[in-house]
Amino acid sequence: MVKISRYILVFTAIIGLSVVLPQFYRMAFEKPTKTPLIQYSCIDHDFMIFRPDADDKWTNREGTKLTREAYEKKLPLMYTRQLVMDGTMPDSINGQKINIQHTGIFRSIFRITPDEIHAPKPKLYPLFESKSGRANLEMPGDFFRITWRMEFIDAKSNKILEEKSRMFSAVLYNRGFKFPAKSINGIPTTRKSCDEGYLVIDSANQLFHVKMAKGVPFVRKVDLPGEMKFKTIQCVDFSDQLYYAYLFTENNELYVLTPYDYMLEKFEVDDINPDEYEIRIYGDYFNFNVITIGSGFIRTQVLNRDHNKVDEYTETRPTYQSSSEGKLAQFLFPAELKITDDKSSFVNFFLTVSQSYWWLIFSLVLIAGQYFIIRLQKKKSEPKLLT
Amino acid sequence: MWKSILYKEWLKIRWFAFIYAALGILVVGNIFLKVQHDFEFSQAENYWYSILFQGNQFYEYSLFKFVPLLGALVIALAQYFPETVNKRIKLTFHLPLNENKALLAMMLFGAFCLLAIAAVLVVLFTGLSGMYFPSEIIQSALISVAPWFLCGFTVYFLTALIVLEPVWKYRFLYLLVAATLVPIYLQTAAARAYSPALPLLIVFTVLLSVALLFSGYRFRKGEM
Repeated sequence: MVKISRYILVFTAIIGLSVVLPQFYRMAFEKPTKTPLIQYSCIDHDFMIFRPDADDKWTNREGTKLTREAYEKKLPLMYTRQLVMDGTMPDSINGQKINIQHTGIFRSIFRITPDEIHAPKPKLYPLFESKSGRANLEMPGDFFRITWRMEFIDAKSNKILEEKSRMFSAVLYNRGFKFPAKSINGIPTTRKSCDEGYLVIDSANQLFHVKMAKGVPFVRKVDLPGEMKFKTIQCVDFSDQLYYAYLFTENNELYVLTPYDYMLEKFEVDDINPDEYEIRIYGDYFNFNVITIGSGFIRTQVLNRDHNKVDEYTETRPTYQSSSEGKLAQFLFPAELKITDDKSSFVNFFLTVSQSYWWLIFSLVLIAGQYFIIRLQKKKSEPKLLT
Repeated sequence: MWKSILYKEWLKIRWFAFIYAALGILVVGNIFLKVQHDFEFSQAENYWYSILFQGNQFYEYSLFKFVPLLGALVIALAQYFPETVNKRIKLTFHLPLNENKALLAMMLFGAFCLLAIAAVLVVLFTGLSGMYFPSEIIQSALISVAPWFLCGFTVYFLTALIVLEPVWKYRFLYLLVAATLVPIYLQTAAARAYSPALPLLIVFTVLLSVALLFSGYRFRKGEM
């Protein structure tokens, strides 16, 4: 038992130190790397790149140096306000006359990171009244869950609202909803232009649109092609009101869901994996820039408004592992144990094993050093015979 | 004989255990006093919304996070520090009992007291939560406070190990290990974020419970 307690102490020390030592090392030596901004120019039909930490900050794909002003002129739909202020906003682009107010409607920005996907999700949601006749949305007094039925709980009394729960559950049941819900996706805030309820995946992986209109349930099943499964569904509230949501599938495809006709339209992009990569989608009057940022690369795929691919550009980026401080860390530590991770909002034990075996040499040197220290100590403590 | 040992342990820690329990009850009471106040002033639905979507962790109020840690530290010091004064623990080792079993009995008694107080606090917390919140919010809150109570047990076991260790150099090394381990239980995180880590944290905590035997062994050996 005493031996076991000794091993446990050693094991505990290993766990604690493999968390703390690499963490201290990173805090002391890790240098930040800034992500470049890669945008497709509707003027040049080429990529414009802004690298915040480079000497040549603004360039095109070939590396031709640009001034800030020239760079902004190549991206008129992104820097509209600056160009209008400078009086250099073009009247027409690609032969089309530009109305600034009109093109502004088609501008959209979307971003999602892996830690937003791998995060604890709330299990209760507010269902807003989508046709209240009021200019602003109002927070309802109850919240719903979808377990064996759809239940509304009154926040003030903490009691289930039976009548409302039965009404919504019955409609869901009649539309073929299989309880419970696997995921509930929406924009649960009053700070949006209008309410479109929630997109709900049921236990049979069917997709439903659920909202409340004038106090009564609106439930619509969305036809999915084949056995489509989603990693995440991200509802959006863009000013053009062209889509309900971006839908990221299990096989790393990207779809949008259109309102009214509930069509799933595919974005002709590939390797869109929100589990691993940060995804940014910038929409404007002419194009969508779908940007994936992973460990060691940034990739921009450009689509036209019909969702067909126009062009793409990939650039490698230095990683911590490839930097000199990262290489030294791999020499010092056989593994790194982290409690939190960039790709998750959960607290867990995230183990990263060193990619090289240089740490073996360092460990052998330490063992040899320890061996000689012990031998020296033993020699010193040996009783000397008096002659 | 065993009864006498447990009674001796009880005599050492009883006032500290009462103070810890009373402090815990006061803190839980204070948390729900704040909840009740916020319910009145900011409307129930807005309060629920702030918990569900804005990261309001109502249970963090009154430094509840550190209460189990402090309670465990005080109880461990009260239980083991008197044993090191004039090496009184040696009297226990001279009893006609297995020395390891005697040490484990002391440790189990302390851990049981901590568990009893934790149970009282958790029952009180859950009961009061039930008055204001649905099961989803209560479950999230319980998952979030669980590492704090586990941290209490870890601190108790590590304090016992450090206090009973006869050599200062080793005490310092154990303290370093404790300093690396304890923050793992106290990370600032979203509600329910600890759910995947909890099983491993429970295993660590249970494993640490026998670490005390090593200090006891070194004490018996007469390490100086």
